[in-house]
Amino acid sequence: MFHTTFYVRRLHSLVGLLALGMVLFEHIFTNSMALGGAPALNGALAMMELIPKPIFLGLEIGAIAAPLLFHAIYGIYICLQAKNNPGRYGYVRNWQFALQRWTAWFLVVFLVWHIFYLRIFTKGIAGTPISYELLQSYFVANPVYALLYILGMFAAIFHFCNGITTFCMTWGIAKGPRIQNVISLMSMGLCAVLCLVTLAFMGSYFVM
Amino acid sequence: MAEQKKVRFVIERQDGPDSAPYTQEFDVDYRPGLNVVAALMEIQKNPVTVDGKKVAPVVWECNCLEKVCGACMMVINGKARQACCSLIDNLEQPIRLQPARTFPVIRDLLIDRSVMFESLKRIQGWVEVDGSWDVKDAPIQNPYTAETAYEISHCMTCGCCMEACPNVGPQSDFIGPSPTVQAYLFNLHPLGKFDAPKRLNALMEKGGITSCGNSQNCVQACPKNIKLTTYLAQLNRDVNKQALKNIFNH
Repeated sequence: MFHTTFYVRRLHSLVGLLALGMVLFEHIFTNSMALGGAPALNGALAMMELIPKPIFLGLEIGAIAAPLLFHAIYGIYICLQAKNNPGRYGYVRNWQFALQRWTAWFLVVFLVWHIFYLRIFTKGIAGTPISYELLQSYFVANPVYALLYILGMFAAIFHFCNGITTFCMTWGIAKGPRIQNVISLMSMGLCAVLCLVTLAFMGSYFVM
Repeated sequence: MAEQKKVRFVIERQDGPDSAPYTQEFDVDYRPGLNVVAALMEIQKNPVTVDGKKVAPVVWECNCLEKVCGACMMVINGKARQACCSLIDNLEQPIRLQPARTFPVIRDLLIDRSVMFESLKRIQGWVEVDGSWDVKDAPIQNPYTAETAYEISHCMTCGCCMEACPNVGPQSDFIGPSPTVQAYLFNLHPLGKFDAPKRLNALMEKGGITSCGNSQNCVQACPKNIKLTTYLAQLNRDVNKQALKNIFNH
């Protein structure tokens, strides 16, 4: 008796919190360097370039692409099992449940665009290194893209923070309603902070 | 004499399992203490719509009329609840009645909830008492968990949690909050706990506890105030431990 569903579900939960959570934090951390202007962000990007190419590519595939693909494909399957009903049952947690799925759909589309354009096309095929100047000219010339990036970050941040709450429930860490509420409030607090950080570094491209 | 106050009902009807749903409106004489089941009985006596058309009486199910049997669960003003304890005075009018479409509809408000019975069989929702062993006096309940067991034993398989849960329905194979939590009731039982690994393994199967999406509608919808989400989290703990045993004991 091997419970494939159980292990795949638990893996989906772990991968989302740990692997993709790391990816999200790395993105927020590196991108927030933009607040220090071009030298700071370009310096942070140059630091990453110090990682030997094969290791860097291995990390990109093993620690980002593979977990992301697994989480996204199995996540779509999970999304299709839900009939979102916050209109009828308008409780906070039910809204969060529906938002978790709506942000998931948005992120699938956003990440395909983001990865294909910046990683595969710009950096990979065209060979243009990512830099402060590149991002600034891209966002300032296309404010709609900047807005879509902000929404993409908000979606990812909410999805991750709400994921912390559901992780604690799914793994039986937070059992009673009080601790579940405390964790939910804390993760929504984290969500607000990370969204503000995102607004700050995205906004800095327009004022500097 | 003052004019008789009326209560308007908008009822979603369906002639058979595969026929298209339609709505009909009925007026029922108001009286103090009137509830939805009593109003449906009035409609049954005189099945005439507000347009004066005589129609087939509305079909629904009810039994105990005191929120114990669970049979009269339907969607009232958008939420799943027992019709027998839904007082007209507490409801916004017109009152909209719909069948709980998480389950197959047989006719009008009558639904087929046999899937819950099948799920209870799947999680072994019973205690083995017959066997080749001596049947002595009944073992005592653990006094520290008796209150929890009593609470979960109130479940009347009405299906409110199943209707409210976004992960239960024709689009999903989730057995739902109620049958899942029943596994915990029988795992608490002094004899039932011998089969706890069996129940936990059943919950690890496809459509078991892993299909819970933590919307927590169940605990809000439960008319018996069973702390479903708390016991789901406990069972999540228990299946994790069971998984470790499955991996490392062999």
